[in-house]
Amino acid sequence: MKAFKFIAIVGLIATVGISCSTERATAVQNKAGVQLWGENCVRCHNTPSPASFNDADWSTIEMHMKVRANLTATESQKIFEFIRSAN
Amino acid sequence: MKKLLVLLAIIVSVGTTYGQEKSKESRFMVRGYGSASYISLDSADEHDSGSSFNMGTFAPIFLFKASDKLMFEAELEFEYEHGEFEIMLEYANLSYILNDYMTVRAGKFILPFGTFGERLHPSWINKLASMPLGFGHGAVSPSSGVGAEVRGAFDFKGSKINYALYATNGPKLKTDAHGAGMLEFGLTDDNNKNKAIGGRLGYLPFSDSSLELGFSFMNATVGDAHTDYEDTKANLFAYDLSYVKKINPLGGVIDIKAQYNQSTVDDRTYEIHDENDVPSDLVINDNKSTAYYAQLSYKPTMSNNDFIKNLEFVGRMSKVETPDASPETSDLESTTFGINYWLSWRSAIKVNYQLIDGIGGHGAVDDKVFTIQWVIGL
Ligand code: HEC
Repeated sequence: MKAFKFIAIVGLIATVGISCSTERATAVQNKAGVQLWGENCVRCHNTPSPASFNDADWSTIEMHMKVRANLTATESQKIFEFIRSAN
Repeated sequence: MKKLLVLLAIIVSVGTTYGQEKSKESRFMVRGYGSASYISLDSADEHDSGSSFNMGTFAPIFLFKASDKLMFEAELEFEYEHGEFEIMLEYANLSYILNDYMTVRAGKFILPFGTFGERLHPSWINKLASMPLGFGHGAVSPSSGVGAEVRGAFDFKGSKINYALYATNGPKLKTDAHGAGMLEFGLTDDNNKNKAIGGRLGYLPFSDSSLELGFSFMNATVGDAHTDYEDTKANLFAYDLSYVKKINPLGGVIDIKAQYNQSTVDDRTYEIHDENDVPSDLVINDNKSTAYYAQLSYKPTMSNNDFIKNLEFVGRMSKVETPDASPETSDLESTTFGINYWLSWRSAIKVNYQLIDGIGGHGAVDDKVFTIQWVIGL
């Protein structure tokens, strides 16, 4: 528990510090869908390749993941646009 | 509280009609996952030792996208374990996307209490064959609830914030000889008028989303209506952490996950009955239960070798502690090591070795468990 608190506190201080210096919204806006796909999906499970599903299924999955994974509108738009363009 | 629920119901139903008018096509999808395992247990209790094949779980998932704003999701879980067959409705709910920042959900949903339950428990996502101690069904962690929720995500001053806020029927206080003082989660019926209020706030400081820190809470009155326990309250909270990043010098992806749960129930005296129905008083003060896990995994995704590329190495520590005074008190610690071989993005063979020791349920525990699990996502 002590280790846990320690990690949480150090993490919080470090992140607050760093986050003040970057503009995330513009950073995400400037990223390509393929990069966001590589960064985001892997946070919970292995990243599915665009070829794993057809466009119709991807559109259902897009909505499912947008809600379940709390993706921002920009993130999900860019990621799933990339997926549909690549499958 | 009721008004809030009625309001949400109206929003959802208006959304449904509106959404249906606009959509030209709707989509139905059945997915899911299944697992089978072989478990060999070396226990302090001779009776428990041995090995067996387990069907584990089969969980079909139904997704229905009715329009660009409205969707339905449901999951059934079939489980066959220790000779018992169980079917559970994991969740069944409607989501309506109000705008870019807010979605409302109503029905039965997995609670965003920490992240293990909502995001990591399906066996094709869980990197080990077992759940962390205290994180399974009916443990120290709220699993699912029936009610309504608003959730969403937005960029905020250079970071990303996500949130969820819900009202559900809430957990129930157990008062019997086996479980007095403990909470039961995931119930469909409400045992009293009170609604549990809970939520989670997630903070992703970096633009690559590698780190997420979360705080969750849940407050509820948990006693059965019209009993002496009626106004018993429970307060729960959780911290969670997730860090996932591809690290070039290490040649792969590092994944760190951790969660700490704490649940506190008001002091109470429980009238319990033994096998012969003889009543006695059981006082449980300082009724605090905790559970946590910390997990580290590494996947050499950048290897040139196809076999090595699909391997994953996992280590996890977990601990659960319930009050000494509770009838089946546990104070257990576990360490698990695992190697996974990924056959596809959601099918794997997991080989685990787990050590569990402490006091649990009916006495001393000193288990060594070897598991091979085969899991496939459909
Ligand atoms: C915050 C965690 C999280 C993130 C991030 C995430 N997912 Fe998922 N994903 C899940 C969970 C949990 C499930 C399983 C849902 C269930 O079984 O109830 C899932 C299931 C899926 C499925 C199976 C079909 C389905 O809809 O259930 C697909 C495909 C999928 N995710 C794709 C993606 C893609 C693509 C991304 C990247 C944009 C992504 N996910 C990001 C948590 C996440």
